[in-house]
Amino acid sequence: MSTLTILAGGALALFAVGLYGLLITRNMIKVVVALQILVKAALLALVVAGKASDQINLGQSLAMTVIVADTVVAVIGLALAVQVKRVLGTMDLTELSKLRG
Amino acid sequence: MDWLIILTIGIPWLGAGLIWLLEERQSRLQHTLAVVFALAAGVAALAMLPSTTEQVELRIKIGSVFGDFTFVPDGLGVFLAVVATVVGSLAVIFSVDYMHGEAQLGRYYSLVLLFIGAMAGLVLADSLLLLFIFWEITALCSYSLISFYNDDPKAVEGGIKALIITQLGGIGLLVGALVIYAYQGDYQISRFLNEPEVLPTNMLSVMAFGCLIAAAAKSAQVPFHTWLPGAMEAPSPISALIHAATMVNAGVYLLARFYPAFEEVDGWTTAVISVGLLSAFLAALMALFATDLKRALAYSTISQLGYMVYAVGTGAIFASQFHLLSHAVFKALLFLSAGAVIHSVGTRDMRQMGGLGKQMPFMRAVFIVGALALAGLPFFNGFWSKELILEDGLHEGPVWAYVGMLAGAGITALYTFRMVWLVFYGERRGSGHIHEAGRLMKLSTGLLAAGTLTTWLLIGVFGEMLENTLIYHHLHVESAPTLLEEIITAPATLLALSVVAAGLLGWWFRAPLAGIAASFKPVGQAATSDFGFEWINRRVTDWTNAGANALRTTQTGSLNWNVFGIIGGLIVVLVILALGA
Repeated sequence: MSTLTILAGGALALFAVGLYGLLITRNMIKVVVALQILVKAALLALVVAGKASDQINLGQSLAMTVIVADTVVAVIGLALAVQVKRVLGTMDLTELSKLRG
Repeated sequence: MDWLIILTIGIPWLGAGLIWLLEERQSRLQHTLAVVFALAAGVAALAMLPSTTEQVELRIKIGSVFGDFTFVPDGLGVFLAVVATVVGSLAVIFSVDYMHGEAQLGRYYSLVLLFIGAMAGLVLADSLLLLFIFWEITALCSYSLISFYNDDPKAVEGGIKALIITQLGGIGLLVGALVIYAYQGDYQISRFLNEPEVLPTNMLSVMAFGCLIAAAAKSAQVPFHTWLPGAMEAPSPISALIHAATMVNAGVYLLARFYPAFEEVDGWTTAVISVGLLSAFLAALMALFATDLKRALAYSTISQLGYMVYAVGTGAIFASQFHLLSHAVFKALLFLSAGAVIHSVGTRDMRQMGGLGKQMPFMRAVFIVGALALAGLPFFNGFWSKELILEDGLHEGPVWAYVGMLAGAGITALYTFRMVWLVFYGERRGSGHIHEAGRLMKLSTGLLAAGTLTTWLLIGVFGEMLENTLIYHHLHVESAPTLLEEIITAPATLLALSVVAAGLLGWWFRAPLAGIAASFKPVGQAATSDFGFEWINRRVTDWTNAGANALRTTQTGSLNWNVFGIIGGLIVVLVILALGA
């Protein structure tokens, strides 16, 4: 089994963990964590795909771009979670969705 | 030429956006801007008239599966664009008086202008997909204007009903568009009309009947017609513009446009003739028993649209479009003058009217002009076009249909006369102060009355325009003097006129004939309940509402369920890919 296959399998496993997290969690912080795991899976897949298709530069630069974008998502998501907790007193998504009209 | 097309569609849309932005208290500016933009659109459409062509004049490349959005300003399209914008301008001018002092004028005028632009686009489009998009925009405007008084539950119900029924019909058109795309690779109507053989026979009939359903729903034909009487909750200028002169004609337009391709489809022309006949005859009966002035006019619209559909079925494309022109003018006139009367009296119930002619002599005069054209008396525009349809029907169509249409013409005369009498003559049955209509109301109805007296003079020019630019229809239209002479001297005309006279006499001698009238009472009861169609349409509306409510539960708004849905979708796609590979 080549290194690439192992790495691709790892990306798939990370992806599955992230999806599973999104599927079961109701806590906003945990949602952000699960999203991060999902994105890391995508990053890994990008690098692996770059190597596999002999375009290492392309794969890695795409990965760098995603890291930047992903940081913004994490920062805004966490800031939102903190504000929601402060104003509404809960971080449970089901509780929050009861607020809709 | 291409910029004229853009202007005709773009000016009203630009106006719609601008008026939407204005504040509520700038109502004078809203009125003025609406009139200016509507008139400008009318001028742009009229400017297209001299240079009609069957060529693609405007091509917007969209790419991928949407193909090119093309426009062909041929005689049929330009003529209908002119009707939409000119009658639209008159309705907007009328609205200045009619909607004076109403709240939310911005919404009203924006939707009207949006509608005018969409209608012009619908008839000029050569891409069936684009036509479908405009088709749905007009349905949306129609819905929101029917429900304009959105605190009135009847108006909301009427709007929802119109929306659901026309949308269900619209599916037929969408199917047609997809079928064309599947076999032809693009949506170009002209290419399809040139060689309809690219479609296998069964697909062609799927498309033909899909279009018939779409047209019947849009043009309020039996069995989908009951949304139109419900649409009468809209302000009167809307009824005149959308539900008499323009949008409801879109169905007839669609049938006329595709006639060369569908002509050979088994049973299609018979189906079209039957739909037209049923609508013309049954709706005339319903109009005879209606007590609400606007509902009576709505039934009469269904009935007259039935005549046009019937004419398309018999292959008389020119006659149907000529009647469309006459009908757009005189029915807009009838609706607008009825609107002026209703505005003044404050009720739509004809039993509360009567004797209004003394207080409103001008409205009585123009209403009678419209009514005589509707009844088909010489020499109003309705006479020429209706006689043309009946004559072509006698020669080209089956006899059973002709007899039905002839009877319909008699009933038309009867209910028209009844309507005029109940509103303007006899003794006043209601109470309250009556004031004569405003100046702008008189202006727009006066212009339409002049049109009712004169548009038949255009028969020659109009025929030539259609003959030259509708190359796939292979029309052959005689010159104006020959046509007019033919209509006057044909025995069919005398027959039709005597039926019309019988209808008039029937109303005149209604007292001696009371015994016979009483025996028709069951018919009247059936007619007031729409011969059971109302029940069916209401069920359809209810089911659609119930289905939508049931589907609402799928919108949980919960993250976990949404992720679950995404994974489910992903699995489905993967399975399809695995099976397909």
